[in-house]
Amino acid sequence: MVYIGPVIVGFIIGFIIGTRIKPNIGSNLKFPASVYVLLAIVIIFIAYQQGPFPWYTDSVFANGLISAFAGIVIGKLTFGRG
Amino acid sequence: MSTILKIIAFPASVILICYGALTILGGHITPGGGFQGGAIMASGIIFCLVVYGLDDSPIKFTDNFMASIESIGALGYVFLGLAGLFTTGFFMYNLGVDLYHIVPPNIVNIFDYPDPLHAGIIPYLNFVVGLKVLVGLSAVVITFLESEKLMKDMESK
Repeated sequence: MVYIGPVIVGFIIGFIIGTRIKPNIGSNLKFPASVYVLLAIVIIFIAYQQGPFPWYTDSVFANGLISAFAGIVIGKLTFGRG
Repeated sequence: MSTILKIIAFPASVILICYGALTILGGHITPGGGFQGGAIMASGIIFCLVVYGLDDSPIKFTDNFMASIESIGALGYVFLGLAGLFTTGFFMYNLGVDLYHIVPPNIVNIFDYPDPLHAGIIPYLNFVVGLKVLVGLSAVVITFLESEKLMKDMESK
């Protein structure tokens, strides 16, 4: 069973930051969805290499890292569009 | 800044922010905690600010946002302390652990952090301190950048 504490708190931290990620209208540099897909792969790889941090035994991933990234993405999709 | 830095800075910042969140989450049993995790997350924000500049940074901290998060962090810390004071008579008493067995079980369940270590309010304290440090350190750099912009405007006039 996955421990719910790190998942919820990590998600909230990520969500708070994710709401502040907003695109620059006039800028040439864009960060489309493909950047976030690539970042998700990198984060899952890091979480797998990290293992269940700190000394948990509930999963093979560092769930806090993954939930923080999920919070960033969902925060950006909900409040970080404009 | 160079194009390579502009391409890599934002993804690196996101990874830094996630790593800072992980440091906060392990703060009750590993080295690190609220301050260190908040500083790591702030380093991600500052990285973006330095590379893209204040106006073009993809992570935008407004004054209202910083004031709100700083207040939530400070008030959360005070609230957790006062909750122990009003319940037991001891300021910052760890209501989720209840070492002296003087708190009703329903209050212990509210403040208990749901992981196998049952560290009580310590992870919540780490969380609010992390928010406060994140915003505080970012605000320093944002103030520097804004003052630099202001001085350039004054010189041009």
